[in-house]
Amino acid sequence: MLEIVRNDDGVISLQGRFDASQVEAARAILTMIAESCTLDFAELTYISSAGLGLLFSTQKRLVDAGCALKLINLNPHIREIFQIAGFDNIFEIA
Amino acid sequence: MATVRRGFAREIASLEEIFEFLAEFVNGQEVDERTAFCINLVVEELFTNMVRHNVGGGDEIVLGVDRVDGQLRLELVDSEVEPFDLEAVDAVPVTAEIGDRRPGGLGIHLVRSMVDDLQYDYRTNDRQMRISVVKKLET
Repeated sequence: MLEIVRNDDGVISLQGRFDASQVEAARAILTMIAESCTLDFAELTYISSAGLGLLFSTQKRLVDAGCALKLINLNPHIREIFQIAGFDNIFEIA
Repeated sequence: MATVRRGFAREIASLEEIFEFLAEFVNGQEVDERTAFCINLVVEELFTNMVRHNVGGGDEIVLGVDRVDGQLRLELVDSEVEPFDLEAVDAVPVTAEIGDRRPGGLGIHLVRSMVDDLQYDYRTNDRQMRISVVKKLET
């Protein structure tokens, strides 16, 4: 199960597991992002290519509009997945 | 040797049950955290690939997990399907800029990168596809 929560400071927190069964619900929320913002992965335990693909399409749309996503607090396993996918070149990761 | 095997309905919604099945196996086998993450990912990618591409296949896709010596062996078996050779999937240009990237093919790229062996077999007499994976356990 994946939860996406916008915090008071504007940071968007992803919590739980971002697998293929969660993509459509996540798409409904991520398509509403229209400006640069930070996604906090501190409570995200898992992501697959389905989640990566949605993050990629969100980032591509924002970059085309002169904006971007910044990702923070990736756990070591998710960071490894981003590196294997070459997404560490596509996202600012802190 | 520890072996578990079970069929799962051919739908993305089966993932929750699959993850529970894998968690039960992993907890009983003292599998390290990185390997556990890896097998969740590999099984999800291969299972969802079968669901999406093997339209018209049998009701269930069978997942087997074995632990043999220092490695895990995963097997997904899909029946009444057409061949889909994983080797034919194009490589992903992981160093390309975002404007030159497309999201497709990423799942198979992740699988290839994270396992120690990946075998594809197709049997024509009963149109059965079998994908076998070996993942060495962390020491």
